[in-house]
Amino acid sequence: MRLPVIGLSAFLIGLVAAHAVVLNALPGYIMSKARERMTDSGIPVHQWRMSPRITPETQTVVRPSPDLAYAICVIDVSNGPVTLTVPTWPEYGSLSIFDASTDNVYAGSLDARLPGAPGVRTIIVALEGETGDTAEGSDVVSLKKPEALALIRRLAPSQGLYEAAAALVPVSSCGPAR
Amino acid sequence: MKFVSAFICLFLGAFLGLGSALGAAGIVGPGMRLGGAVDVRNWTSDWTIGSEAANPWTRARVARHGLLALTKDEAVYFTRAADDDGGRLSEACAYKVSGGRLPAQWWSITLYDSTSFLPSNTDNALSFDLTDAQSAGNAEAWSFTIAPLPVDEPWVSSRAGGAFDLTLRLYKPEAGLIADPETTLTAPRIVRLSCREAN
Repeated sequence: MRLPVIGLSAFLIGLVAAHAVVLNALPGYIMSKARERMTDSGIPVHQWRMSPRITPETQTVVRPSPDLAYAICVIDVSNGPVTLTVPTWPEYGSLSIFDASTDNVYAGSLDARLPGAPGVRTIIVALEGETGDTAEGSDVVSLKKPEALALIRRLAPSQGLYEAAAALVPVSSCGPAR
Repeated sequence: MKFVSAFICLFLGAFLGLGSALGAAGIVGPGMRLGGAVDVRNWTSDWTIGSEAANPWTRARVARHGLLALTKDEAVYFTRAADDDGGRLSEACAYKVSGGRLPAQWWSITLYDSTSFLPSNTDNALSFDLTDAQSAGNAEAWSFTIAPLPVDEPWVSSRAGGAFDLTLRLYKPEAGLIADPETTLTAPRIVRLSCREAN
């Protein structure tokens, strides 16, 4: 009688523990693999990189939208805050930050048609407690872990609009705050 | 002997726990949905996507099938894998998708294969969006056809899609949609037109 009780308890402990550990570790693992794929493909840390126009041949993450032009910056705030400046866009657009656990910790509009659109959106990304003084008009994003990804989405369903979106990448910034 | 038996039970439990976690995340199979679910005529979503409020099952499933998804204030995502009669969406069939005004600044409907990637074809016809609806003449009453071969009307290609699904993205959704999706969203219809004969 005692062995089945011990055996059942051991089985349930193993089941619940493994389920919880694996489930909680998966997002961080998937995000770190995504970062690894990006850096392996030549995307440097702290530099905006325009993604090729999305097609079945160029897709690198699940469920990309072929109607959008994407630009990505790999962020690491281990050595201090990072500042991002991104011009707005005459159609739908957004600037978003994803932390190491895949949470979307920031999303700001890049749509220049909206009232009060800033022209250039500026945000500062830092570890919790390290944001320091920030310039007026800047949004501040606090991270629990130093790794993050910044992503620009701009509505660009044609080749011409994609090229216009790509032309904004050289005038955007993603680097250590000064 | 008791120690060995208990260890074997622990190992078996851990193995099952590993498998169930991978299944829940959709690494194996479609994934598991727990809480936060929104269902409008079989278009399903989850308002906690991308947020810290998401439960571990949602977080793991989205990391696998929707990495870099935005929170509901910026965009909401609905997915559907069956037609209006409940049949699994398949490359072997043609469908008419139709709808009206959608409560968002901009929207798109995109076709993905069973691995959550765009199907491997060169048709350059993998989505239909508000811009297409406006170009076709009426953003309040639009339709398009899903088929593996081109048709003489707005077309989304399912070639190489296998058993596919559709993702409806609504960017900058209206507040009413977030508060009451079932009432606010007139969900697009998916009517099966025909299917290829099995060989």
